[in-house]
Amino acid sequence: MIKGLKMLLVLTLGFTLVLAGCSGTGSKSDPKPSNGESTNNGGKETPGTDKVEPFTVSLRHIQIGDAQKFRKALLNDVVKKTEDEIKGLKFELDAVEDQVNRYTKLPAEMAAGNPPVIFDLFGGMGDAQKYAKAGRLLELTPILEELGIKDKFLNLGQFMVGDKIYGLPIGGNNEGIFYNKKLFAEHGIAAPTTLEELEAAAAKLKEAGVTPFAMGSQAGWIPNMLVNTLIGRYAGPDLVERVSDGSLKFNSPDIVAAYSKYEEWVKAGYFTKGELGLSYDQMLNEFLNSKAGMMFDGSWRSSAFKNEELAKNITSEDVAYIPFPAVPGGKGDQTYVNGNYGNGYGFSATLDDNELKAVKAFIKNMYNDEMQLRGLLEDGVLPAMKLSADAMGKVEDPVVKQVLDVAAASGGAFSHFEISIPSKVYTETEIQLQAIIAGQATAQQAGDAIQKILDAEAGK
Amino acid sequence: MLLVKARKTLPHIVLMIYVAAVLVPFVFVVFSSLKDNNIDIAENPFGFPTELVFQNYIDAWVSAKISTYFFNSAYLSLTSGIAGVILSAATAFALTRMKLLRTSKVIYQAVLIGMLIPSNVLFIAQYILVSDLGLLNTHWSLFLPYTAGALPISVLLIAAFMKAIPAELEEAAIVDGLGSIGLFFRIIMPVTVPALVTVFIVNFLGVWNEYLLSNFFISKDALRTLPTGMVGFRDAYQTNYAYICTGIVFSVLPVLILYAFLQDKIIEGITAGSVKG
Amino acid sequence: MRSALRNPYVYALFVIPTIGLYFLFTIYPMLSSAYYAFTDWDGLNDPKYIGFHNFTTALQDPYFQNSIVNNMYFILFSVFVQVPLIIMFAILIGSVKRLQGFYKTTVFVPSILSTAVIGILWQFIYNPEVGIVNKFLGLFGIDTIYWLADMRYALWAILITNAWQWMGFYIVLVLAAILAIPRELNEAAEIDGAGGFQRAIRITVPLIKPIISVIVMLSIAGAMRVVDIVLVMTKGGPVSSTEVMASYMVNRAIRYGEYGYGTSLAMLIFVIALVLTALYQLTFGRTKEEVTY
Repeated sequence: MIKGLKMLLVLTLGFTLVLAGCSGTGSKSDPKPSNGESTNNGGKETPGTDKVEPFTVSLRHIQIGDAQKFRKALLNDVVKKTEDEIKGLKFELDAVEDQVNRYTKLPAEMAAGNPPVIFDLFGGMGDAQKYAKAGRLLELTPILEELGIKDKFLNLGQFMVGDKIYGLPIGGNNEGIFYNKKLFAEHGIAAPTTLEELEAAAAKLKEAGVTPFAMGSQAGWIPNMLVNTLIGRYAGPDLVERVSDGSLKFNSPDIVAAYSKYEEWVKAGYFTKGELGLSYDQMLNEFLNSKAGMMFDGSWRSSAFKNEELAKNITSEDVAYIPFPAVPGGKGDQTYVNGNYGNGYGFSATLDDNELKAVKAFIKNMYNDEMQLRGLLEDGVLPAMKLSADAMGKVEDPVVKQVLDVAAASGGAFSHFEISIPSKVYTETEIQLQAIIAGQATAQQAGDAIQKILDAEAGK
Repeated sequence: MLLVKARKTLPHIVLMIYVAAVLVPFVFVVFSSLKDNNIDIAENPFGFPTELVFQNYIDAWVSAKISTYFFNSAYLSLTSGIAGVILSAATAFALTRMKLLRTSKVIYQAVLIGMLIPSNVLFIAQYILVSDLGLLNTHWSLFLPYTAGALPISVLLIAAFMKAIPAELEEAAIVDGLGSIGLFFRIIMPVTVPALVTVFIVNFLGVWNEYLLSNFFISKDALRTLPTGMVGFRDAYQTNYAYICTGIVFSVLPVLILYAFLQDKIIEGITAGSVKG
Repeated sequence: MRSALRNPYVYALFVIPTIGLYFLFTIYPMLSSAYYAFTDWDGLNDPKYIGFHNFTTALQDPYFQNSIVNNMYFILFSVFVQVPLIIMFAILIGSVKRLQGFYKTTVFVPSILSTAVIGILWQFIYNPEVGIVNKFLGLFGIDTIYWLADMRYALWAILITNAWQWMGFYIVLVLAAILAIPRELNEAAEIDGAGGFQRAIRITVPLIKPIISVIVMLSIAGAMRVVDIVLVMTKGGPVSSTEVMASYMVNRAIRYGEYGYGTSLAMLIFVIALVLTALYQLTFGRTKEEVTY
């Protein structure tokens, strides 16, 4: 049976090969010389007689669209530099939208065992740690030791299994409220420092016909950011540890309180109308066009305000960034912010020598003081590696400055709860939150439903 | 007299409303693609653009790699269409004209079973299969399932046509000393051309429009086909409506041009492809 | 004399490539699905045999049940809304002399386009702020409707898009049957004084019953297959309100990495499709035997 099958397979493949041979996938076989010939690369020797086999290395990134142009420019520089250093190397860049990459492409490729050589990767239990345990990710510890940067990283926790490192965050961030200073001034609203003031501000904006919070909930992770911080306030900053060890349940009063607050705001009409059909970019667009007064988002968004392709209505000067205020009855330190070193690059476990060389050079060129500082200055992304105070002092962007202030004033950081739960449970949190937004579930029902899946997964 | 006139124009009025419902979306998209920004589109959606912004077309062509997607779709559709026609014609010939009747009957029934299986049902298993064969992220992962998926209906259509060819034709040819291969290529194929064209059109359009497999089996941008490429383009430029419309125009226009020239053939092909099955 | 046509080698040469491909990409996946459906498999680790567990889970899975219901909406909408409209338009086109070719060519256009592209196009048409649907309704003072973001409308929005795409195709099918009706029949009825509407009901519809049966059959099959348009326009959202069986299956397998469970859903989809087809054939589809062409 098996033999017959193989025979058939060979026959079919052979036949179709003959048929389609003429059409060819010819475009693949002609590696173009890197167009970086003109760049002078210092005293690099290039013996002309040494014949180098050209090879390509696939690199999956998520820097697409106008909002990502600064980050893309940084990546381009690293790619070019690496290509110049390694003879014969040509990167094959593959741009995929973040959610598609994270939830569709990578899981499928990981299952099939054929991810790109270098790829955008999230940390945590549902991503990096899961793939690392299945042996799909390259262990980076020796490479980092060789390059001498192992101890430079601020926090690799989400990319580690035991004491082994499997991925590198590109930067850090915290999450808070951006607000439009012009709109606030126009409606006589002062910077809110308490929940009461924040809700009063929202009510006032709403009354004036301005959307209080820009929101795009087509993808559940976006409203989940706010919920996550609400949980951090109501249940305390140790939420991730407690969700992870089972002592904090999704249907406990603390978490339900967080969902209830969200539900309350939904009912009050504080979020963009039709948010379930809006994407992350559309949410930003609403804020940039001064249609919404506030936006709860990650600090990485700060570069969008100086991006002239996007922000035609406001500039960085018009944007303030504040932490989410303390909530009455909240547990633990109320000054904590949601801070993560969660997104970066991972590398395929199965590499040949050439690819390994390319990966090493890529890491060297991407993860160094210069690039980290550029990331901070050009893209507003907090460094993932320790930078000198001197370097950090170079920040001039008004929004990034506030982001740093928020970080400095906080008692510490907690992570996204998603890193401590299986991806199936995380997906359920997205579905249930969307159900709350659609008025299909109450906070308590949502909490119960999530906990049910969590229990079922834990029981496996 | 007036009544007769009303009776004659009424159907036209109703039909024109339907035609408008079909065409207005296209007009809207074309107009929008020529506008400078979202505000222009929002404020004057039905209006002809005040100034034609062709820059969108140039920008979209460059940043969306539409030419790449277009080429990929075109050559996959062509090769898979041609392969499907040749394979199924050869098989239909063997089944209907050659004299291994019992085997033919079994094969014919087996092929008929294939018609019952909705293609979606096979999606996951095909995904695992192409992945095991190491074909993921190559055009083979699309070419093979596309071609294979089109075979049952193609064989049935062509076989139905071939059955009707009079036996005298081939008897004469065999008397003239032609072998079965010669008979197939020189005598039967030329007579079968109408059915072959039909099958080719059905398969070509099927591949040209396919989304599910090409979305999940291919992740390299350079290998994407037009439908998946366009969806990726939309994901990247969600807030730039003019841009998205430009992309839509680019992907729809070639098919419409083809249709303008081959409408009868295409209509006949697609409808025959569905009914006889 | 006919030995050439008995040559088994030539026969094999002509048949084996087709059978091979067909076997590899249709029969083999079907068999392997039947195997995976009984396993717990995340794609990363080895499949584990778990008996009927996947199937019992699937039958109790509220999201899957919800997606079955949505598929039924597709079926009901196409059979009870689209089919009557299709017949009406086909009869109208058949009744006119001028512009008949134009109508036929135009209404057919959407069915040659990619569903993915149509999804993007209609997403723009339904856009709450700039889309023409809301702009048009706005003329009558109707407030902004969030077509694809509102659970009450999203499925309708997709049903309408789906109808827009496929109606023309069916109209052309029915039209061909109408034009094949001998002209004398209609003329005789006209002389007898039958009006256009009466003629349509009494003469045309009974004569095209076989083709109506075929398009109902095709509509059901099409409604069971629907997936692209959902993936492109709403990804099954908001809150699963547009999820169909196939999109749910793809989601579970690819996004959740539950290949075993996903294939068990595939098997169930197959069974449901077979049962529906059989039911239709046994009840309303009988007329099919009368098809004479």
